[in-house]
Amino acid sequence: MSKLGQVVEAVEKYNGFVLNQVKRARSDEKFGRELSDRWTEIKSKTPVTHTPTGLPLPRLALPEIDEPGEIARYLFGEGLPGEFPFLNGAYREMYLEPVREIETGSYGKKTSSDGAKEKASGNGVQRLEEPTRLFSGLMLAEDTNERFHYLTQHQRTHRLSTAFDGPTLYGIDSDADGVFGKIGEGGVAIDTVEDMVRLYDGFDLGSPNFSASMTISGPAPIIMAMYIAAAKRRFGPKVVPKLRGTIQADIFKEVQAQNETIFPIEASLRFLTDMVEFTTHEMPRWYPISISGYHIGEAGSTPVQQAAYTLSNGFAYAEMFAARGIPIDQFGPRLSFFLDCGLDVEYIALARVSRRIWAIGMRDAFGAGPRGQLFKLHTQTSGRSLIAAEFKNNLTRTAAELMLAYMNATNSCHSNSADEPFTTPSEEWIRLAAHGQAILLEESGIFKHTMNMLSGSPGMKAVERAVERAVLDEFREIERLGGVLAAVEDRYQRSQIQNAAHRYEEQIYEGTRPIIGLNRYRNGSDDIPEVKLARTPRKKQQLQVDRLAKFKKKNAEKAKRALDKLVDVVERGENCFPTLIEAVEVCSLGQITGRLQEVVGRFRPMV
Amino acid sequence: MAAPIRILTAVPICDGHDSAINTINLEFIRHGIEVIYLGYHRSVGDIVRAAIQEDVRAIGISSYNGGHVEFFAEVLSQLRKRGANYIKVFGGGGGTITHDDAVAMKRKGVDTIFFAGTSLMEMTDYVRKHYGKPRKRTAAKLSDMELARKLTEIEEAYAKGKRRPAKQIRNPQSAIRNSNVIGFTGPGGAGKTTLIDELVLRFLSHDPKGRIAILSHDPSVIGEGALLGDRATMINSQDDRVFMRSMATRGQAGGLSPATHDCLALLAQSNFDYVIIETVGTGQEAMPFQQNGIVDETVLVMNPDYGSRLQLQKIVMLDLADIVVVNKSDLQRARTAHTEIEQRLGQNRRGQRLIDTVAKRHRDPGVDQLFALIAGNLSRRVGMTADLSC
Ligand code: B12
Repeated sequence: MSKLGQVVEAVEKYNGFVLNQVKRARSDEKFGRELSDRWTEIKSKTPVTHTPTGLPLPRLALPEIDEPGEIARYLFGEGLPGEFPFLNGAYREMYLEPVREIETGSYGKKTSSDGAKEKASGNGVQRLEEPTRLFSGLMLAEDTNERFHYLTQHQRTHRLSTAFDGPTLYGIDSDADGVFGKIGEGGVAIDTVEDMVRLYDGFDLGSPNFSASMTISGPAPIIMAMYIAAAKRRFGPKVVPKLRGTIQADIFKEVQAQNETIFPIEASLRFLTDMVEFTTHEMPRWYPISISGYHIGEAGSTPVQQAAYTLSNGFAYAEMFAARGIPIDQFGPRLSFFLDCGLDVEYIALARVSRRIWAIGMRDAFGAGPRGQLFKLHTQTSGRSLIAAEFKNNLTRTAAELMLAYMNATNSCHSNSADEPFTTPSEEWIRLAAHGQAILLEESGIFKHTMNMLSGSPGMKAVERAVERAVLDEFREIERLGGVLAAVEDRYQRSQIQNAAHRYEEQIYEGTRPIIGLNRYRNGSDDIPEVKLARTPRKKQQLQVDRLAKFKKKNAEKAKRALDKLVDVVERGENCFPTLIEAVEVCSLGQITGRLQEVVGRFRPMV
Repeated sequence: MAAPIRILTAVPICDGHDSAINTINLEFIRHGIEVIYLGYHRSVGDIVRAAIQEDVRAIGISSYNGGHVEFFAEVLSQLRKRGANYIKVFGGGGGTITHDDAVAMKRKGVDTIFFAGTSLMEMTDYVRKHYGKPRKRTAAKLSDMELARKLTEIEEAYAKGKRRPAKQIRNPQSAIRNSNVIGFTGPGGAGKTTLIDELVLRFLSHDPKGRIAILSHDPSVIGEGALLGDRATMINSQDDRVFMRSMATRGQAGGLSPATHDCLALLAQSNFDYVIIETVGTGQEAMPFQQNGIVDETVLVMNPDYGSRLQLQKIVMLDLADIVVVNKSDLQRARTAHTEIEQRLGQNRRGQRLIDTVAKRHRDPGVDQLFALIAGNLSRRVGMTADLSC
């Protein structure tokens, strides 16, 4: 049985354990009393807060139960926020306003626990800044750099999220055949370490208030190596352990949904593991992978498929990293997740269930400690649910999705702009999207007074049970196919996603899936926003090509030697990441990709 | 009955947004259209070459990552340059292609752009209406183009009810034969396509001037469309020195199309060093090249998971193939499979060769061995080496 099979067993066993605890609480008087006492204590220690109108409310909402069996079901089956199995939240507090006065008790008081630290590192909401992580990337490195400075000018903490252009995402250079027009489009063009130096110029990369996020997967190890090399150039080698940030680096979801794999799957996974091994040892504050369901969802999967494939991918990575000999308690806490949130009813509980399955699987099938059990989640509202027809309705769609995301206690969230279907979002609509979050979290009272405010309704519980069952069924199917890697190579996830996507479109055009303004209540006049295309001028594209030529010429001799050395290490099967950091000093992204492809081959796309 | 409409679909270079095109492909197929799908992240050159070789009526491009005005224009310009502007271009890209862009693109020769919110039915109707009729075209400029058109004529003749001539061409050494023909068959999922693409890679680097033709098959039922998707995965075969043609079986059982024989004969007479023919995944009783008469060397590609030894007895091709390949020989059952098949071939006493490969592995030594064997066998049989034909 693969690890995934063990996860299925662990969850089933845990569910059995919960039922047993319920029975025991009812039959074993002493145990029942202990639980009742604990329940009373939790309630009495819950601080009381006051709404602006003066209404007192507990800071933690709990169900009205006093029967020991039900208490057991709650405490073991769901857990309080921040407690195993984390159904209600990975942390306490989350979106709550800071406690002004504590009237009674201590549960929910902010502590300097691990959780609070994690929050400061990027998960969770900080009031000192706009609630969104600002995704940005355009034209050349210096243009993006300028934009980064503009976006962060009033912020104390600098959390930069970097989007790359097409050639970079595919690991090729700006001088490659047929890509000239794509340079700097949709993201920033990065060919060399010199571009990387320019990209973050002026930011203190080693500061605890700085973190960089890089949305790239196929060539992630090479780009990561460039980031480290650039940091060393600017701050010396001592900066490396201080670097904080995230790189997406999720290969499985690339093969399943996003289509930016550049090496054969096994080679891609090996380079990834090399990088993860390096960062867990040398860069303890770095998140070397963001296990992403977002792209799976956006490619058209059902919500259940999204959760099932993301979680199973996560378990497969954990298995792989453990097999490399990286201790689970070292890499476990460095894994983070990224999910999509759309309008289907499953999203009422999708992330909640995911968090629970992850915690149980990591604890019981992998033996991870508490920090490695946490499903740290970034959510993005669904881009695909946003449509061109009567596009202003997209504001409402995103608002509803945000509500669902926060009901699922996501640690951070990105809200899409209403002009998403057309082009890189414009400032006007970005602002509205960001303010949507502020309205929900800060202006409205829904989330700021009480933890767990909307958790646990009968409907939500029904969705939880149905989703969990369906996710475990998917796990069993993947297990039958021989595990995640075998299923991926078999096109299993891809074909499931494609069928779901086709069904979705069919439903729209049959009219069985109502889309307001498209197949219902259509007024016929499509008001399309003034689309201001942020196009990269030819002159800039040429500049990028010229710079690259200069770099290649300057380093021609050294590049040859560096590449030979890299190939040597790769062929010997050693961890090639340290050599990669040396190589990027004198080689471009495309040179490295090309040479590695000669050794390990190119990715063979799947239909 | 009229032959199904053949179109090519693809997503531009540096773009992996394939969800829309996958859905559209499925929809087209359901409505009787044959779609040759080239995949995502594809260059203009790959698209134009494939469109000419496959002799499609039109190219459908799905573009999301920007630069569509230039990309579509470049496709049209390269088609024109090759005298292939009888191939039409259409496409979509959701909301990323604005109405203004679409006007500019149409001015440059794009037939139409489907905006976000277009129903799937509308697109199929459009294709059937606009690309359903045969086109008038001027004389072919390039030899590949001429060949491609002749293949279309053959396919269309069979669709209209032509029957296979009773007399077979069977004369490997005759003057009209210029190419070595190698047939690949085997059950679905054995990895034939990947194996062939790996052989192509070796051939192209082994013989810097040589040319190769591939006739690949995918299943289809009469009156329905087909997804011909081999090009998307055959990355090494998208090359000017490779002429590739994808065919649907159009209701014929046994792994090939009614028109295959004539098409293969035509390719064999053309100046290729090798002609490779790949059947669809076949069943145990299949012997696709038996009545064919043109194939010089047959390769049966097996998966180690064929089941029990008893199953092996039923596979007819094991008696007929010149070479048997156990692909995916990294799988657990591979060693057992090798032994069992070896015994089975031993009974035949025909000197058939058995080779283990892992085609998905880069530079797999098994594939090297297979390549050497095929090249050697053929040069012996036809009495010439690969270099002699040009
Ligand atoms: C789904 C999606 C993704 C998925 C793609 C999954 C996949 N495998 O396809 C994921 C999450 C992976 C993704 C990633 C990225 N994306 Co994206 N994505 C989208 C999204 C949300 C929907 C597109 C879609 O598939 N719609 C569903 C289809 C069925 O409907 P439709 O688009 O309305 O199309 C209709 C017609 O136009 C027609 N049609 C379309 N094509 C064709 C072709 C033919 C031949 C025909 C006949 C008809 C036709 O059919 C449809 C039905 O009516 C759009 C925004 C949006 N809401 O539209 C952004 C969008 C396209 N993405 C964008 C970007 C920038 C990216 C990234 C580059 C981000 C980054 N820097 O990392 C990456 C690159 C990925 C890559 N490999 O190239 C931008 C493009 C910006 C621009 N051009 O200016 C958009 C517009 C979002 C935005 N505003 O920023 N994306």
